[in-house]
Amino acid sequence: MTAHLPETKRKYDLTFARWVSRNVHGGDKLNMCMQCGVCSGSCPLGEQMDYGPRRLFMMIRAGMKDEVMKSDTIWNCVACYRSEVRCPRGVPVTHILDSLSVVAVREGYAEAKNAETTRFAKAFWWSAKKFGLTDERLVTALYYFSGGIGEGIRKGMANQKIALRMIGKKRMHVGMPRKIKRRGELKKILAKAVEIENRNDAAAGEEVKS
Amino acid sequence: MSNGKLSSRTILVVGGGIAGISATVEAAEAGYEVVLVESSPTLGGRVAQLNRYFPKLCQPTCGLEINYQRIKKNRAIKVYTMTSVGKVEGETGNFTVSLNTRPRFVKANCTACGDCAGAAESEIDNPFNYGMDKTKAAYLPHAMAFPLRYVIDPSVIGSPEAEKIKASCTVDAVDLEDKEGSFEIGVGAIIWATGWQPYGAEKITQYGYGEVADVINNVEMERLAAMNGPTAGRIVRPSDGKEAKRVAFIQCAGSRDEKHLPYCSRICCLGSLKHAAYLREQYADAEIDIYYIDIRAHDKLEGFYQKLKNDPQVNFIKSKPGSIVRGESGDPTVKGENTITREIYANSYDLVVLATGMEPSARGEGSSVNLQRDEYGFVVPCVFEPDGMIAAGVASGPLDVSMSVQSATAAALRAIQAIAQGEGK
Amino acid sequence: MTDQNGIGVYLCSGCAIGQSIDVDALSGIAASEFKVPICKTHECLCGDEAVAMIAEDVASGGVEKPVIAACSPRVMTDRFQFDGAQVIRANMREQVVWCHPPGDEDTQMLANDQLRMAITRATKSNAPEPWKEGEFSDKILVVGGGYVGLSAALEASRAGTDVLLVERSDQLGGNVRRWSKVLPDSPPYGTPRDNPVPGLIAAVEGDARISVMTDAIVAQTSGQPGQFKVEITNGGSTSEEMVGAIVLATGWRPYDPNKLGHLGYGASPDVVTNVELEEMLAAGKVAKKNVAFIQCAGSRDPDHLPYCSSVCCGVSIKHALQLIEADPDVMAYVIFQELRTPGVAEDLYRAAQDAGVIFMKGDVKSVGADLTVVVDDALLGEEVPLQGLDMVVLATGMVPNSTNIDLPTRELGEDEEMPPLLRSDIDTTAPITVAGYMGEEPAAVEKREETMPEGGPLLNLKYHQGPHLPMLADGFPDSHFICFPYESRRTGIYPCGPLRRPMDMGEAGLDAAGAVLKAIQTIRLVRDGASVHPRSGDLSYPKIGLEPCTKCRRCTIECPFGAIDETDKDYPVVNPARCRRCGTCMGACPVRTISFDNYSIDMLTSMAKSCEIPDEFDEKPRVLILACENDAYPALDMAGLSRRNYSAFVRIIPVNCLGSVSALNVSDALSVGYDGIILMGCKSGDNYQCHFVKGSAMAQERAANIEETLASMMLEKERVEAMEVEISDAERVGQLIDDFVATIDEIGFNPFKGF
Repeated sequence: MTAHLPETKRKYDLTFARWVSRNVHGGDKLNMCMQCGVCSGSCPLGEQMDYGPRRLFMMIRAGMKDEVMKSDTIWNCVACYRSEVRCPRGVPVTHILDSLSVVAVREGYAEAKNAETTRFAKAFWWSAKKFGLTDERLVTALYYFSGGIGEGIRKGMANQKIALRMIGKKRMHVGMPRKIKRRGELKKILAKAVEIENRNDAAAGEEVKS
Repeated sequence: MSNGKLSSRTILVVGGGIAGISATVEAAEAGYEVVLVESSPTLGGRVAQLNRYFPKLCQPTCGLEINYQRIKKNRAIKVYTMTSVGKVEGETGNFTVSLNTRPRFVKANCTACGDCAGAAESEIDNPFNYGMDKTKAAYLPHAMAFPLRYVIDPSVIGSPEAEKIKASCTVDAVDLEDKEGSFEIGVGAIIWATGWQPYGAEKITQYGYGEVADVINNVEMERLAAMNGPTAGRIVRPSDGKEAKRVAFIQCAGSRDEKHLPYCSRICCLGSLKHAAYLREQYADAEIDIYYIDIRAHDKLEGFYQKLKNDPQVNFIKSKPGSIVRGESGDPTVKGENTITREIYANSYDLVVLATGMEPSARGEGSSVNLQRDEYGFVVPCVFEPDGMIAAGVASGPLDVSMSVQSATAAALRAIQAIAQGEGK
Repeated sequence: MTDQNGIGVYLCSGCAIGQSIDVDALSGIAASEFKVPICKTHECLCGDEAVAMIAEDVASGGVEKPVIAACSPRVMTDRFQFDGAQVIRANMREQVVWCHPPGDEDTQMLANDQLRMAITRATKSNAPEPWKEGEFSDKILVVGGGYVGLSAALEASRAGTDVLLVERSDQLGGNVRRWSKVLPDSPPYGTPRDNPVPGLIAAVEGDARISVMTDAIVAQTSGQPGQFKVEITNGGSTSEEMVGAIVLATGWRPYDPNKLGHLGYGASPDVVTNVELEEMLAAGKVAKKNVAFIQCAGSRDPDHLPYCSSVCCGVSIKHALQLIEADPDVMAYVIFQELRTPGVAEDLYRAAQDAGVIFMKGDVKSVGADLTVVVDDALLGEEVPLQGLDMVVLATGMVPNSTNIDLPTRELGEDEEMPPLLRSDIDTTAPITVAGYMGEEPAAVEKREETMPEGGPLLNLKYHQGPHLPMLADGFPDSHFICFPYESRRTGIYPCGPLRRPMDMGEAGLDAAGAVLKAIQTIRLVRDGASVHPRSGDLSYPKIGLEPCTKCRRCTIECPFGAIDETDKDYPVVNPARCRRCGTCMGACPVRTISFDNYSIDMLTSMAKSCEIPDEFDEKPRVLILACENDAYPALDMAGLSRRNYSAFVRIIPVNCLGSVSALNVSDALSVGYDGIILMGCKSGDNYQCHFVKGSAMAQERAANIEETLASMMLEKERVEAMEVEISDAERVGQLIDDFVATIDEIGFNPFKGF
């Protein structure tokens, strides 16, 4: 991702909406939203979301950049794809929310918000990149303690029983972290992915401009 | 007229619904011979299955009665039921059309006395009521059927029951040997008034049609409300016969949806408003919720919308629901987001009606003919091109009844123009 | 003694008639009471053998009026059609044996009377002589030279008909003439298409069958279909033309934006209407970057136009697309309440979204002089000021040109009453009604006052009912019928296009073709002296015997179609080609001097009188039902078809329309001993279903007047009742009859019985 978020001067000045259309995966289909609400109404976490996708999309049109970027909605999506499957206008809801979360991380909104989902995602990626797989024990520990020592201990105690049962059923690995073979290959794959993404973004940006 | 060959002044109308009937009588009264073919046993089409029309809330049979009388009195009109179009050859002004007939097993001298139905034992799903009840295997499609003539279902042919049915007829109108047939006619122009079918609600899987009890579609609602319907006009739930007082209508069930029908079916908003009026008439304490994206009560129909909006027991909720599920009590429960209040709701109802849209039913009939269609299957209307292939009614686009009749009347003129052109006037 | 010559009675014993009643007894009645020369019985009268037998009797010249005593006249109509014969049907099946117990004395008495009434009808009915006087014209007058008028002219020409096209302005093309693009009516539905009007103008001007008069208005219209005399003023001169039918395509005008000050019109030159923008686009001079469209500007608003103007959503979308096509940086906002792109026009909505047009649902709170539009944004849930706009477009609606707005409003003369049938016949503020249910009363809205419409009449009709076209609520002319959109109350005059209701060009083009078909059809029918819809093909027409006429004018006034003029000596004179054969004039006439060849007050009364009226000691009351043949009579048939038994004490006579029933029919029937009379017709009032407009309403009015007569005869008012039934009321109609007979039982027999 190269393009940074634009300044918005007033409601509905469309700078932000057009930026999203050009720089967010699936954002070009956002225009097609007719605000029917089937997405928010289909969301299993609908009640937990501050806005829900439908209203978030209206806020994008209205240029409410900060509210959009700080919203829970983009983080609480569990990618069940119900909204995307049901959308009568073919808006890729899941992709848009996911892509917005990437922007939020890059532009510092996620840091500022210090959301749990962000912290979990960080722990997850740390393990994935380092070992080529997720180590349940380390990811969990890293996530628990990312909110401070006190919170780490509290969460650890609360979930102790589950952890023990998982160990009993060999669902949680104890001992030295396991790693995949040929981690160098994984590193290359990830580097390639970043390269492709940057190239796509640049191309998308040009396409819109031309 | 110079040396041009005399071509037929006959017009073929395909489809005996309101558009086909209207095109037929209008062309015939303008002085032309008309052959009307209908693939089912009776004329009337979809409107005969409606309880009332919006916005006047009058009965479709009233207008059908007038039109049937016009047909009966006009010798320029020939009607063939259980007949469909096969091959069409030739060109504007001079078509040769082969017509295929299905056996009715009842001859024209049937007096509709009903003795055969009395003799029949087996029952079939009643097509008039969309299979919501049964009818005898020897049946009159409905009381206002035209022609008023019984039909014997092919399922009993060859059985002893068929012989019993035949024996019951005092005027020897039952013909168990009736066969499929075919004949040819020459016509100058063809009006395709092949109409529509309700969009298959089961394809909208999240709305539970066919899975969740008491989720029905709008054409079934129309039959439930009709005096000659399966419940003699009592609007009750199919599952347990309980009075349907708290009812939800789901607009755009399939319409305005790229995954189903991308176009707006035009009639469903007004249809649900009309259904709300039926319910309010029947149950003083009915509570109705209409879930919608936009209420499309165009032109003077707006007045009808405003009248229902004034009714405190009819609520309009701007929301396309996410899903319809079976609630804990067994009632259908509608889940979604109210886009105005932004509340997530889960509301239970006695009955949920899916306002399903219309899709053109012409895909089968006339498929051998090179009709120009749009991407949705509607026959593209020809404008100012005297062409012997003319579409009328919903075959040409999603129209309401009045617009269908308008389109049919226009089609009658286009047919006359095509014939005039053929005659080299 | 009436004339029995030419009557042949044919009795059917099939369909269980023979098992339920004594057909031989019927035969005896025909022979002894009526001395009918030919009376034959057959076990299947509709069968080939019997039909051939009747046809032979007709062909041999012996039988001119076959009386078929079999099934309902509504069925087997085609079987019992004999050239040169007047067929009279006695309904023995649906209304006798199918709804009354077999072998019963009362059923037999009913059957006997059914036959008596039919034979009496035959004796009182003559073969109609169609009216065909004078020269007829095949030419069609098209009024209005806009898109719809041009289309209508070309459609008519292509069907081989001559056309006179009259346009009030100095050139053809109407509103759309200068527009650049129009809404699509064929695929692709999401792309505005080029304006077809210039092409149509060229086609019309090059068409030898079409003559065009611009700067012309219709100064006066008299005569009747097939023979309309039209005076056209063109500049200073007036010419007279004879035309066969008239297609009205006077179109629409934009709602007056000066009434839209609350939406900023007038506050800034950059607040424009959609029509003004249309012209700017055509001139290619719109250099605006940020444009807001305000939908329903004046439409769907009780203070302005209560209806939806149908096209404005599509038009604003088209405008937005045009602006964006010219300059991709344009930001276009459409502020709507309900976005209405019905049918395949949904593609247009999607095309606009795809192009980046922003749609906002909500009410506009204010439009400032700096073009700030404050929107109560329903989907965002807050009030939003839209700033930085450089143009605001008001999507104003369509007002029908049902009058000529250039002409002064016609003032009422001092003694002149408001012409009937203008505007207020449908009350849009009335609550909804389905059969019995009345919805909640809406918040008090003052009922529209009956006023002369603004502007002069379009055709200046020389009709007693006034110079204007009859209009429905909101100023649109007919039709009021869903299944018969061209059923106007002025025969031979067909309004079409947005004059009739707001519609887009695709629909309006079709509507023009439909109206032309009706015009051609009417000309053809009236040439044969035949009626148009709904009694299509009826060759009879009302004849007025002037000798007894008292010049009371009731026939002229009450005719729903304005078919009766007055001579300079105030005598009524019928225009048969305007007439729709309802017989309202006949029912209105206090001296029974209006009748049809095959239908008269005398005939109805004679039929009623032909029935045997038992004296009161027999304890068999008699109730006469005069039933509208369109809805009530079929409903009674349906009751039979569903074997719904009801009292056999009723005697049913079908009538063309309840409007044709005179108060005299009622008093005649009471005087011969009927105990009660039911006038059974269609729904009246708002949403009336009567195809003759006010037959039922008229019956109610007459029934109310009869109350006085009843009082003077010392009879109970319950003896006469006007009832409204619908065609599917098979069950209800039986109940209504049984309840009425029970009431008669309670109040006792008619004391005049036996006098």
